[in-house]
Amino acid sequence: MNLINTLIAGVSIGAIYSLIAFALILVWRSTRVVNFAQAGQAAFSTYVGLSVEKAVGNYWLALIAAIIAGVLVGAFVEVVIVRFIVKRATSAATATVAPVIAMLGLLGIFQGLMGLIWGGDYQPYPTAFSRDGISIAGNQIPFSRFDLFVLLTVVVAMSFAAVIFQRTSLGLSMRAAAFAPEVTRLAGIRVSRIRTLGWAFAGGAGGLAGVLVAPTTFIAPNSFDLLLVFGFTAAVIGGLDSLIGGVLGGLALGIGLSVVTGYLGGSYTFMTAFVLLIIILLVRPQGILGARGARRA
Amino acid sequence: MLAVRSSHKPSATKRIILAIAVGALLFVASNLIDEYRIFQGAQVAAYLVGIISIVLLTGYSGQITLGQGAFMAVGAYSASLVVQEFGLPIWASFFVAVIAAALFGAIIGISAGRLSGPYLAGATLAFAVGIPALANAIPILGGEQGLSFDIGYAPGKYADTVSPYKWLFWICALCAIIAIVIAVNLTSSGIGRQWRAVRAHETAAALSGINPARSKVLAFTVSSGFAGLAGVSFSATVGLVAPSSFTLALSFLLLTGSILGGISHISGALGGALIIVIIPTIFESWTEEASLGVATYLPGIIVSALLLLSIALAPEGPSELLHKIRHRHRH
Repeated sequence: MNLINTLIAGVSIGAIYSLIAFALILVWRSTRVVNFAQAGQAAFSTYVGLSVEKAVGNYWLALIAAIIAGVLVGAFVEVVIVRFIVKRATSAATATVAPVIAMLGLLGIFQGLMGLIWGGDYQPYPTAFSRDGISIAGNQIPFSRFDLFVLLTVVVAMSFAAVIFQRTSLGLSMRAAAFAPEVTRLAGIRVSRIRTLGWAFAGGAGGLAGVLVAPTTFIAPNSFDLLLVFGFTAAVIGGLDSLIGGVLGGLALGIGLSVVTGYLGGSYTFMTAFVLLIIILLVRPQGILGARGARRA
Repeated sequence: MLAVRSSHKPSATKRIILAIAVGALLFVASNLIDEYRIFQGAQVAAYLVGIISIVLLTGYSGQITLGQGAFMAVGAYSASLVVQEFGLPIWASFFVAVIAAALFGAIIGISAGRLSGPYLAGATLAFAVGIPALANAIPILGGEQGLSFDIGYAPGKYADTVSPYKWLFWICALCAIIAIVIAVNLTSSGIGRQWRAVRAHETAAALSGINPARSKVLAFTVSSGFAGLAGVSFSATVGLVAPSSFTLALSFLLLTGSILGGISHISGALGGALIIVIIPTIFESWTEEASLGVATYLPGIIVSALLLLSIALAPEGPSELLHKIRHRHRH
């Protein structure tokens, strides 16, 4: 396997890590909570997509259903649970650990509900495109039409997000609320509503990521746990505060891990990601791309 | 004055006498209840030690851990390895498990001790997901099937009269009692006070002469030693050391138990361990086809919902909540 093929193979999975990193960063920026329940939210949305697919038989309707489910679940979680927990729990001595544990409780509820509704077995998820490698001038490369679709979808989704964040007043409010909530509130913006929106967008991104990764990993209540860890690693590479950093972090991680898998073997993939995560947390907690002050708190 | 103090804080000797009394009581009790309950008692004892390791690290030292199952795996695998490869007796393997896990915890603590909040949570989460996968990849650890870990029968002439479950319960209960005595003594000593000081205010602790970094690494090391003991007890109940035993779900279950029991004190560990063993038991009779799915997933949902409620209503544990309610009545 030559180097270029290895790099190409990592791009589409990297794009999915980017989506998860994007979702985690969006929530972290708006609420200062790392949403460990994201794995459950994404799987739940993917199951909704799968149910629609089975009922209607249309991949695109299923994709849209999963994204909408993700948005709704994200908003629901913020309004009904997170808002309450953050307000109540941050006054106690366990303030730093309470939100994390609450998110784990939420993850447990999601995984249990999915088991109840859809069962615990690994189920295949269909694709709209062939997953065989594309042939270029007689050589098959490890990049399928489906990989191309994944990559393009993520690019479109990210461009959409970039336009919203950079070109609309809503995006301006979201950026303002992330970095100076008090000042934003004084400027007459309903910060709590903006937070809900952040969770909703993140949920949608998670749902999309779930549908895109499910044909490869299959879908089960806890099949996205590993994806969450990789997404978190990607977000940390980017600095946890920078959306663009998280997206680039995801791509870099996907390609980097593909190289490791290609040359050293699959059993080293996770170790590499873990060591990378620890090194970055220790050496550059602000992330490779983050410029602002270190965040260890 | 002295008498008042000692009645509030029993001395180490008194604690040991109390522990022996509790041990004797459990010994008598184990002869009165049925085999299956005895097995569950062994499970409670194993989880209890695991929860203590979390209470020490998160409750006292203030460092969150989502990956205690990984330290348990290190202890269990090293115990099983020394028995299979070097022919060490089972009792010695328990010590090996504690030492191996503690050493490992020290190494992890040196790096992870510098992290806090969500960063530490993420790193330990990665750890919990990674260690079973890694164990699967190392040939000597037996892959998916894992290694067997059999504590066998009671020695000598007791082998025929003492049932295997009873023997298992005695060993696990002994480990748990020893763990409780050590943990209680440790947390009421200077080390425990240092941990709480660092948790409450790192800078203030440093100003009063504590080295916060060293205190955190020590907490990681000690907690991992306890986790190693929990791991080997847990493997004894399963009879096997395999990647599938040390899942993320186990780490979460123990964390849940520690929160539900009350993470700010060692005494919460018993309640927490009982809760996580008893709640699934309630649904065990639901074995018909129609209710099987519910029986499988409902306990998890209930436990998780309790966890959420507990964090929202009583972040410091039920004992704290009771304390507050009692206080309110006095006004």
